Amino acid sequence: MPELKDKIKRYNVPPFLKKIIILLSVVGPGLITANIDNDAGGIATYSLAGAQTGYRLLWTLIPITIALIMVQEMSARMGIVSGKGLADLIREKFGLKITFYTLFFLIFADLGNTMAEFAGIAAAGEIFGISKYLSVPISSLFVWLLILKGDYKIVERVFLLGCTVYLSYIISGVMMKPDWLEVLNATFVPTAQSINAKDMPIIVGLIGTSITPWMQFYIQSAVVEKGISIKHLWESKIDIIVGCTFMVTVTMFIIICCAVTLHEAGIQITGAKDAALALRPLAGDYSTVLFGVGLFNASIFAAALLPLATSYYVCEGMGWESGVDKNFEEAPHFFSIFTALILIGAAMVLIPGINLFSILIWSQVANGILIPIILLYIINLCNDPEIMGEYTNTVMYNFISYSIVALMVLVNGALIYFEGIKPLL
Amino acid sequence: MGIFKNFNEISVHFSSCINTKVTNESGKVVGKLCDFFVDYEEIYPIVIAIQYKRNGRFFYINWTDIVLFNYKNIVIKDSAEEGHSRTYPKISEKKVITSILANQFTEAIEYPPLGKVILDKQIVDTSGKKVVRVNDIQIIKVGQFLRVTHAEIGIRSMLRRLGYEKITDGIVKLIRPKSNYLTKTQLINWKYVHAIPNRNIHSNVKLNLTNDDIKNIHPADLADILEDLDSYGRGVIFSGLDARAKAETLSEVDEDLQSSFIKNESPEEAAKIIEEMDTDDAADILHDLDDDRAEKIISNIQDDEHKEELQELMVYKDDTAGGLMSSEFFEVRSEETKEEILERIPQIFDDVETIYDLYIIDTNEKLLGTLPLSELLSSKENIIVKDIMNTSDIKSVEPDDPWKEVATYMSKYSLLTVPVLKDNEILGIVSVDDVLHWLLNERS
Repeated sequence: MPELKDKIKRYNVPPFLKKIIILLSVVGPGLITANIDNDAGGIATYSLAGAQTGYRLLWTLIPITIALIMVQEMSARMGIVSGKGLADLIREKFGLKITFYTLFFLIFADLGNTMAEFAGIAAAGEIFGISKYLSVPISSLFVWLLILKGDYKIVERVFLLGCTVYLSYIISGVMMKPDWLEVLNATFVPTAQSINAKDMPIIVGLIGTSITPWMQFYIQSAVVEKGISIKHLWESKIDIIVGCTFMVTVTMFIIICCAVTLHEAGIQITGAKDAALALRPLAGDYSTVLFGVGLFNASIFAAALLPLATSYYVCEGMGWESGVDKNFEEAPHFFSIFTALILIGAAMVLIPGINLFSILIWSQVANGILIPIILLYIINLCNDPEIMGEYTNTVMYNFISYSIVALMVLVNGALIYFEGIKPLL
Repeated sequence: MGIFKNFNEISVHFSSCINTKVTNESGKVVGKLCDFFVDYEEIYPIVIAIQYKRNGRFFYINWTDIVLFNYKNIVIKDSAEEGHSRTYPKISEKKVITSILANQFTEAIEYPPLGKVILDKQIVDTSGKKVVRVNDIQIIKVGQFLRVTHAEIGIRSMLRRLGYEKITDGIVKLIRPKSNYLTKTQLINWKYVHAIPNRNIHSNVKLNLTNDDIKNIHPADLADILEDLDSYGRGVIFSGLDARAKAETLSEVDEDLQSSFIKNESPEEAAKIIEEMDTDDAADILHDLDDDRAEKIISNIQDDEHKEELQELMVYKDDTAGGLMSSEFFEVRSEETKEEILERIPQIFDDVETIYDLYIIDTNEKLLGTLPLSELLSSKENIIVKDIMNTSDIKSVEPDDPWKEVATYMSKYSLLTVPVLKDNEILGIVSVDDVLHWLLNERS
């Protein structure tokens, strides 16, 4: 039946296209995860960094990016090689006790992050003159229903689409015509002496918002779910590097925009409206609208993805049933966790007189403090030949990873010293 | 009391034994207990050795060299000989009775320690037919020996591991002495424990996974189990099934999993699986693969007729009547008699999806009429089909009809199956369960 054969072959594509298709089929987890980085907490932290310190801390983005790429690469590699999630591996290797306490603290950090997302929703609402007592309860109900009834894949895509709003920072940044030489200098020449004690929360926040603990669980399960095979390890690395580079470019431009508009004018950021000024060169009077829409999109979808992801990995580690296709009787823990996260997260934001912008910043600081611990697990697991086979870390890789952890601990120590201990002395 | 002096409990928790000090008779500390080696080939495995750790290194000692065993202290003979391996050399006597796990271990050369296979791991509970994570292992004292009896799941075992069991027990006893928490421990009988091989156990121990208990699980349940497992364990269980079981399970699992399973099979094996499946399900799976692979699999199919049918189905989009239909239906000739047809049923039964209706065709595959099987059966005489078949107003659909139209049509006329016709030539039939799947998916 020759004519039938022709019909079957109608999908045939040339070989070079096939290579791209393979790459595209692997691409995704890295790009998506990197973009979720630019959520409400991220935008707030970057804006604050630019407004308060100008270009001064731009150079910290380089080591942060290297760290981010390495950490995500390890998580993704683990997912590909073992076919298991991070919580699963931690439970199987370190036992129930360690898993329990780790997850316990992670839930708290994620509660902080969820609060940050709702704070982002509230802040975005206030830009348009909508009271947070209206926007937050409605949004939390919407988010809860989205998790229960929505298609997770669609949520992810809409979220990504909305994130393109942040590209406007790049355009805005270019339109501002900053002194590029100065920018380059500030980025590639570290000036350690320029750091002072007041920068510590910002630095920890920058680390915490870029390399969040929950994201490592997220990327690993995304890779597992995609079923990427070991022979596509390289494509997955490219995916991560591209994703992280894209993300850091946006970050840099947010800082640059805020440095030019706010820092040089000496404006202090006290709320989302101030942060929106950074988009003025591009959008003029509409800059607040643009910022508000971007912030709202990032916040509301991250508010759905984050509690859901948390619920999944906690259940995975504890061995509880999970899945939105189950009902409450079948998976009580799963439903309780994300419902509680949304409920408490939203309620905290509604406490009268609470400063939304500082919730955003301090939740990222909590991330920054927890991440070295998660990193130690990741490095340990990545060196276990029983899990990774021949794909364990190289000596050099370990050296750099441990240096990153040491550096993070050092910065955290400095933060605790300057913020907690020194004022008491 | 011998070996279990000062040890009154009958059942022993694995987790409570861990980290017990191991000394020899002279009182010298030789290490801390970290795991048990058991004879996996028994229904309730007997402990044959204990594993302990000293200065970060692992040793084992035979159970027969133990003088005293309780939660506080384990004493071994001075003369006992330490083994230096992380695994235990398997004893090779033939056993008559076997458990599930035993079957899994018959080809093993070395035994891995019990905790490493079971504790904190996902296992398949073949009785409850689901995947669970084990929090603790229950062992009982039998004479001078220990035997493994249950895997424990649930909140109480979890609290025990965390060290809060006694406090919580106390509080619950005060508030609700008859609560489920205290009276119902969640235990899985060892008979139903099916370990899922891990890559790390696999590295030095070979597991045999031709397992009858897994095979006896209904394909729909097995599909749920596979969906709950990680990709590695999933792959191992799936590859242990025979082509027929693979085909049945494959029809039940998620679409994403379907293609990943088929991708992992060689084209020859994949072709065998595809041959075992109904053509409509098979075509769906082949649709999801890239063309190269799909074609390779099709070219490996031995049965030419089946191959041709598949190729025909592949032409249609999978959400149309053509994509939904199965080309395996019961065709009869108009001059056949009741007896002839009834004689033929046992031969063709395996190859057709359903026989609610008979389709009467001429030599050019043109549909002449239909006849419900029930009507044929209820006719008393040995009639000729032609005489009672229904020729007017035959309900049928076209191959390009979208699935929703097909569903509406079938619902309107209460049809269990509907023939797909093109220029009055019958291409296949769509049965109600083919559209049901789409309907359910649309709802969720």
